[in-house]
Amino acid sequence: MPKHIVSGLKYLTAVELIRQGLSQKEVAKILEMDRSTVSHYLNGRNLSWNSIEVAEIITKFCPKDFLTLTYALLNDSEKTRIIVKTCLKENYQAKVEETCIGCGLCADTCLMNAIVLDDLKAQIDSNWCCGCLMCRDVCPTNSIKILEVEDGC
Amino acid sequence: MVANTKEVIDQDICVTRSSADEKREWSYKDELCVGCGICADICPVDAIELEPIGGIVRTGAEKSKISIDENKCVLCGMCSVGCPADALDLKIDDKSIKEMDSYPKLIKSAEIDDETCVFCKACETACPREAITIARSLPDRSKLVTGEIEIDKETCIDCGICEEMCPADAIIMEHHVPTSVDPTVSADIKVDKDKCVYCLICKKSCPVDAIKAVCRTCSYGDYDLNPEDAEIEGSSFIDEDLCVNCGWCQEICPVDAATVKKAFKGTLTIDQDTCTTCGACVDICPCDVLSFPKPAESGQIVEKVFKDEKYCIYCGACEKVCPVDAIDVERTDVDYTPTKSNSWKNKMESLKS
Repeated sequence: MPKHIVSGLKYLTAVELIRQGLSQKEVAKILEMDRSTVSHYLNGRNLSWNSIEVAEIITKFCPKDFLTLTYALLNDSEKTRIIVKTCLKENYQAKVEETCIGCGLCADTCLMNAIVLDDLKAQIDSNWCCGCLMCRDVCPTNSIKILEVEDGC
Repeated sequence: MVANTKEVIDQDICVTRSSADEKREWSYKDELCVGCGICADICPVDAIELEPIGGIVRTGAEKSKISIDENKCVLCGMCSVGCPADALDLKIDDKSIKEMDSYPKLIKSAEIDDETCVFCKACETACPREAITIARSLPDRSKLVTGEIEIDKETCIDCGICEEMCPADAIIMEHHVPTSVDPTVSADIKVDKDKCVYCLICKKSCPVDAIKAVCRTCSYGDYDLNPEDAEIEGSSFIDEDLCVNCGWCQEICPVDAATVKKAFKGTLTIDQDTCTTCGACVDICPCDVLSFPKPAESGQIVEKVFKDEKYCIYCGACEKVCPVDAIDVERTDVDYTPTKSNSWKNKMESLKS
């Protein structure tokens, strides 16, 4: 069953990436799949509609649940972050306050690999932020603010 | 989730946090800890507590001077940067943050210039942390004197007076009990010319004038001596882990070969009225700043606790250990390398009291 849900998530990701203008070859490379499988996915073959329905429900979870469940299913951080970022409808803006002490706990926690330390301060790449708030929750100095932003802002 | 692990070996503690991207390792060496509690004060998450240091220091209890809650610790490294005794360290991917420019560092050092040093060992003796080792090689005694000595064995009566009198143990006799075959008390008498300093005591004390000796050092003999033979060679070593930059070596050095730079400036005040002379501060001070004065004559009233602030590093261990709050340590200046992080800057500034 987890395998089927993963297929559903990959399907949704593939569809979205194609919509964004990527080629089937590029999508296959990103998701580490055969190009023919991607082609089959897009033609609605080799996949149960139920898997897609379940996957769609998962993408509508709160970001933290979507992210942690996807990571648990795939156990692969690179594919997890691509699927979550691609299927997530909302955009987030992350801000790190001056009170950051550079302990790196957020960077270690972030499953999206969106955080690096620079001069004892966390730098969050908002392009990869999925709004799960796990970094904000572990921060010992409450230095992280995550805002949901409208498209185009 | 990211979880910390703690390992305790004897009184030393190690906390680690590993992720796919980096490994952080916090370590504490109890042997180097002076019990000042700066780590507990600077910790942003209150993970460190100073244990009852007075009892530990005075009883020699096998107990760590600090404790750390590994579930609270975020391995930021602030404690290790604030530690004046280098008892704490944080390594990120096996590299100490003390070697990373982005982290601030207390500016402190102690150096001995071997070119100036005369290897007298005063600093080695004075260092309260036993951090200094002076290695020296002394010149041969025989190369610093010149003269001649000869014992006329025909005249010598083997009395042994010269052997007993010789301050340099340079005369050696081969004593034995006389037999009918060999009716003497000594088989031979020799002068060890490496030891003889031509003091002429043997010559003056010989009851039969069997010794001919002359010292040439005082007359024209200086010309016979090579000044290079009198040179003392050596080298100094300061164990940076043990050194707390107290300045004893600098103060006691007769030739100004030692230079010490302290990280903190401040004041140390002892309220002599409140002090109960329990001695906890004297015991804990890592710099031998504090001592109990002895009256020069009976009946003289002296201070309860004497301080010599020259040697103080303003770590505050005495203030923390004092059970009656009779000691006040104020840090007015903290010297540290610059950092771009405001939160770290603020923490370093917070060391000023």
